[in-house]
Amino acid sequence: MRFWDLIRMSLSNLWRRKLRTFLTVLGVMIGTASIVVMVSLGLALNKSTMETMESSGGLTTIQVYENGSFVSMGSGSEEESSQETKRITEDTIKELAQIPHVTLVSPVLNVQILAKQGRYIGYLDVYGMSKEALESMDLDFAWGQIPKEGDGLSFVYGNQVMMNFYNESTGEGYWDSGVLPDVDLEKPLYYIFDQESYWASQNPVEDTGENEQQTQNVSPPKKYMLPVAGVLAGDMETYTEQSYGVYCDVETLLPQLKRVFKNKAIPGQPVTKSGKPYKEIYYNQAYVRIDDMDYAEEIQNEIKNLGYTPNWNAEWVKSQQKQYQSIQLVLGGIGAVSLFVAAIGIANTMMMSIYERTKEIGILKVLGCSLSNIRTMFLAEASAIGLIGGIVGLMLSFGISWALNNFGAALGGAITGMTEAQISYIPFWLAGLALAFAVLVGMIAGFFPALRAMRLSPLAAIRNE
Amino acid sequence: METKRTPIISVKNLYKIYRVGETQVRALNGVDLNIYPGEFCAIVGTSGSGKSTLLNMLAGLEKPTKGEVAIGRCHLEKMNENQLVRFRREAVGFIFQAFNLIPSMNALENVALPLSFRGVPKKIRLKRAAGLLKTVGLAEHMFHKPSQMSGGQQQRVGVARALVVDPTIIFADEPTGNLDSATSAEVMELMQRVVREQKKTMVMVTHDNHLAGFADRIFHIIDGKIVKIEEKVKEGEKER
Ligand SMILES: Nc1ncnc2c1ncn2[C@@H]1O[C@H](COP(=O)(O)OP(=O)(O)OP(=O)(O)O)[C@@H](O)[C@H]1O
Ligand SMILES: [Mg+2]
Repeated sequence: MRFWDLIRMSLSNLWRRKLRTFLTVLGVMIGTASIVVMVSLGLALNKSTMETMESSGGLTTIQVYENGSFVSMGSGSEEESSQETKRITEDTIKELAQIPHVTLVSPVLNVQILAKQGRYIGYLDVYGMSKEALESMDLDFAWGQIPKEGDGLSFVYGNQVMMNFYNESTGEGYWDSGVLPDVDLEKPLYYIFDQESYWASQNPVEDTGENEQQTQNVSPPKKYMLPVAGVLAGDMETYTEQSYGVYCDVETLLPQLKRVFKNKAIPGQPVTKSGKPYKEIYYNQAYVRIDDMDYAEEIQNEIKNLGYTPNWNAEWVKSQQKQYQSIQLVLGGIGAVSLFVAAIGIANTMMMSIYERTKEIGILKVLGCSLSNIRTMFLAEASAIGLIGGIVGLMLSFGISWALNNFGAALGGAITGMTEAQISYIPFWLAGLALAFAVLVGMIAGFFPALRAMRLSPLAAIRNE
Repeated sequence: METKRTPIISVKNLYKIYRVGETQVRALNGVDLNIYPGEFCAIVGTSGSGKSTLLNMLAGLEKPTKGEVAIGRCHLEKMNENQLVRFRREAVGFIFQAFNLIPSMNALENVALPLSFRGVPKKIRLKRAAGLLKTVGLAEHMFHKPSQMSGGQQQRVGVARALVVDPTIIFADEPTGNLDSATSAEVMELMQRVVREQKKTMVMVTHDNHLAGFADRIFHIIDGKIVKIEEKVKEGEKER
């Protein structure tokens, strides 16, 4: 039998019993829609987490610290004992670059610098990184750009750095008044690298006993006027991982620091027992970019083997994903139950129809319709119910999804505070999968009825009931 | 002369025994017969004598308990169900007592149906079906549903459906059983004419001796055994 003849026969059989077909399709439709909508809720949850993650540093960066840096944070005395800890040096950077799937390694030198403009003063948390690393971060600028080669030292300000500035005389800042300090970043600022001497020179009285004589003699450190290369996009409400940071090229930062602290140790750098700085520069961390988050685990292990402590920001994304997967399983399961009920409906409809058509099937067999054709005919009928139900169910799902996102979002936003968040997300693959699943359910439900039809005796046609 | 021809249907020592609980029903009790190409045969007997059982065996609708049924060179008793369906599709036309048209299809579609099982394209199918409906005198009823036709008209559609596949053998189980005597005679004449014109072999079951008279040869069956074979050769030769 020709394929289209088979399909036409199946469809005309469905058409003959419109009401029953409609009711069965209704069941599949509800089943499909509930699965799709349920899963779409879980997917939207997952998607918004992933997007948040993406905006806050990406999933393909790993921070590398020296061993024990987290442990020693609390107790300063331990620092002495861990003499053997491998510190992050130029060699480390080269070492890390050797690891497979690592695309970029940059040193990160973190220093505190005071910035001044007019009456306002602010602490800057400055990160010196390689130019390539700065480029790779894909920073979103409100204005300006990454410092250019040969520009000398210049800074990129995070969008929330302004919050750190306060009026030097009144001590009032953004956090007290709620008003942003009147600092114009497009004009140059003064930078003070040697904070210790600055404060010493400002408030000699506050210093205690022994040092009193010395501190009184301290002259204010040199201020440097340096340009701002750019400011990141976003207002005081938008938080990204870079919001509070100030970024610059480490190649220009280092010479500057060396110039300022000629014989002294650069603040933050370790010193020998006698208080002398080491020859080499020790970085606070290394910034590692990898080509695929799937390798993150592997690479982290390698870094550990090298004697450093890796930190992958997206670690929690994985646990989050696992959590969402189980939520999705539960939601999908609820939907699956209704599709299962729909499958029973299909099987029931098919059984009924075979029961009614026993004689007709017998006639087909006497007239020479092959067994496989009869089986295919009934399978096609059941699959068609699944397919139609799946299509209508999908349309319903998209409708519900749209309604949830447009009207439910206001409601959800009021509760969660996330106004932008999608509540329901139906990706293309989910739609395709749901459709395939609906057809599959129809086929499975129709399988035994079809076998039964195939095995019916042709004599049913001859006996007169 | 007749016996030298090779039979198209050859039955040897055929038994069909039904078990109903403890008792055995011998529906066929050792049947031997030969039917030759182009013959119009009738199987006559009282109710319950085993006529339908014999016909079903010949058409491959039921398996014999014992014995041989050979159609041409094919031994039906050795075939599986797939092969039997294929045999019917390719060589057999069937006319039912209850007409057994598909109620949702019109006359034309009903006649064309067996051709669709052979994979004949729709256009050709319908053309052939229309031609046959004209032959059986139903050119004006092509688009009538079975429920919109009289019994006689329905059985004509049934005859056309049996002929459409150009079968070598046509089986008919009491084809006029549901018709009144005048209509029966009409349908019988139609079948006789068509069989003669198209040189088909036809096997018909009936319990009516008068209707059996349309056949060339009559097998009388009692309690599952053929007791008498009536030849009507002279009549056939006269007509020719
Ligand atoms: N499926 C079956 N199971 C048990 N016994 C059967 C079965 N089919 C037929 N028989 C028996 O076999 C015998 C022959 O039946 P068959 O149908 O061939 O009779 P028939 O000659 O066609 O009668 P009628 O003229 O009434 O149609 C009957 O006694 C019947 O009871
Ligand atoms: Mg009978």
